[in-house]
Amino acid sequence: MTSTLTRRLLLQCSLAGIAAGLSGGCAKHLSGRKVVVVGAGLSGLNAALILERWGFDVQVVEARERVGGRIWTLDALPGSPEGGGNVMGANYGRVLKAAHDLQVPLRSPPRTLPSDYFVDGQRIARDDWALAEANPLPDAWRSIPPSGLMGKLNASNPLLQTRAWQDPKLMASDTSALSGLSALGFPDAAIRLIGANNSYGNNLDETSLMSLYRVMGEFGRLSGPALAVKEATKGNMRLPEAMAGQLARPIEMGSPVKAVRQSSSATLVTLASGETLDADAVIMTLPIPALRRIDMDLPASQATLLDTIDYHKVVQLHCIVEAPFWESAGWGGSWWTDNLLGRIFTRPIPGTTRFNMTVWINGDDCDALNAMDEVTCVDRVSRALWDLMPDAREVTSLGQLVRWSNDPFAGGVWALWRPGQAATAHAALRAPAGRVFFAGEHTAEAYRGMEGAMESGERAALEVMRLLA
Amino acid sequence: MNQCWRDLAISCALICCTNAAAQADSPTGEQLYDIACSACHSLAHTPDHHIGPPLGGLLDRPAGAVEGYRYSEALRNSGWRWSLPTLLAWLADPDTAIPNNAMNYVNPMTAEETQRLG
Repeated sequence: MTSTLTRRLLLQCSLAGIAAGLSGGCAKHLSGRKVVVVGAGLSGLNAALILERWGFDVQVVEARERVGGRIWTLDALPGSPEGGGNVMGANYGRVLKAAHDLQVPLRSPPRTLPSDYFVDGQRIARDDWALAEANPLPDAWRSIPPSGLMGKLNASNPLLQTRAWQDPKLMASDTSALSGLSALGFPDAAIRLIGANNSYGNNLDETSLMSLYRVMGEFGRLSGPALAVKEATKGNMRLPEAMAGQLARPIEMGSPVKAVRQSSSATLVTLASGETLDADAVIMTLPIPALRRIDMDLPASQATLLDTIDYHKVVQLHCIVEAPFWESAGWGGSWWTDNLLGRIFTRPIPGTTRFNMTVWINGDDCDALNAMDEVTCVDRVSRALWDLMPDAREVTSLGQLVRWSNDPFAGGVWALWRPGQAATAHAALRAPAGRVFFAGEHTAEAYRGMEGAMESGERAALEVMRLLA
Repeated sequence: MNQCWRDLAISCALICCTNAAAQADSPTGEQLYDIACSACHSLAHTPDHHIGPPLGGLLDRPAGAVEGYRYSEALRNSGWRWSLPTLLAWLADPDTAIPNNAMNYVNPMTAEETQRLG
């Protein structure tokens, strides 16, 4: 890592040095200003690397003993499944460029096995979905599998511009997904099926329809030479690890921040250990639930706003399957359900005969699970799994439980916007407060997820450079 | 002068001008390009691993014309030709300039910074 770093810095100096006789070359950019970046996820690492490239003295501090934030590869399990960010979209330009530059190998993900359905206690084979009596969708929609519903809804997407999802004029008429689906004639059973598997709200009543359209619009706007989604061959964590390896100053790991205080000339970051770091600027990249735990000088309106933002709840139970128990029954291997289990995604582990099977539970259904101790929670989910598919029990081992809402440094998987909320809340949340700047996927405007994190790091780095130029 | 030497000379001139102005105008154009453009666009002349089309030889090029790159229909049929004014209009708000384009992008720069970059 050190030799790579040295070569990289030398290269940057030599490029800038083209004009050295005219401008003083590399030394010109060494402003010597100190920046503390709180959080070693993609947004913090991207901001830190940009600022270091231009001569800032950057210290990244990270509460966990690992980098990556909500990218978390479960390396201890066969197949190294992703407990966090799992897909690099084809239009994730910043993510793909970073992986290319840092020589993090990518691959097309092993194909997730086809889904069958469990609705109201009945199994529906995927080929029977359209005509099945238990299919709860209205007539005009019933031929569409649950995973394709958003695509059909996108046909009426009113968001024609990248930032329109937070446009106050459109937000004034933003409604909940529940009322939107009810207006389209979706009965309660269909709403239950969709609600159990909604990734963009903890319940449909609090899910902004415009936020759903934003997600759909982003998916529909793919461009560029690479159209297939990617993942890092050895786990997505390898990307933030490689980025961290490029930093000149080692990250302070295992160092939660307790307070950020500003005076007229500097900013003081106090770690839980009692150590203090003084900085000319601070970039806070933490998700909002983690941000709430830090004592900060914020305008009252901004501090109050932090309390109003919900985060999406996800509970995952990662399992390893030794043999495809579903084949003899003619099942595909993955399932969508309207019960506690939500969705079950299964995919082969390359080079083996085994499979990663992830039970993926969304939203308010997680509340009871999050309140249990770990053993009880695993028991509750696995019992539901064995009840639904008894054949699985003999060939399935339980790997790891992931509960993002219970992680004090995350508090959920991503920010949610209630109907109409993005019109005012988004801009206010990303607004700098003195010498404190904000990044993280919740502050990004064009993208969400990993690419949104990278995008937000760029914007925050630019804001710091304006301040400290 | 072949194309490579011409580009190098232009690059040196740009860096020179950028740095000369840097005392008063910061971030510099070079820094702005690094932050706001370089993740998705290279300065090469042919498509590469970046997801956006290459920007080498951009000026006076018709929009959507780099062979081998998948453009939106809207950009390809726009009739635009890249010049300083069209580039600035595009960067100010790509969605307004050419609706239904494929560049999912919010410009983080101020209008003055965008001018400096252009």
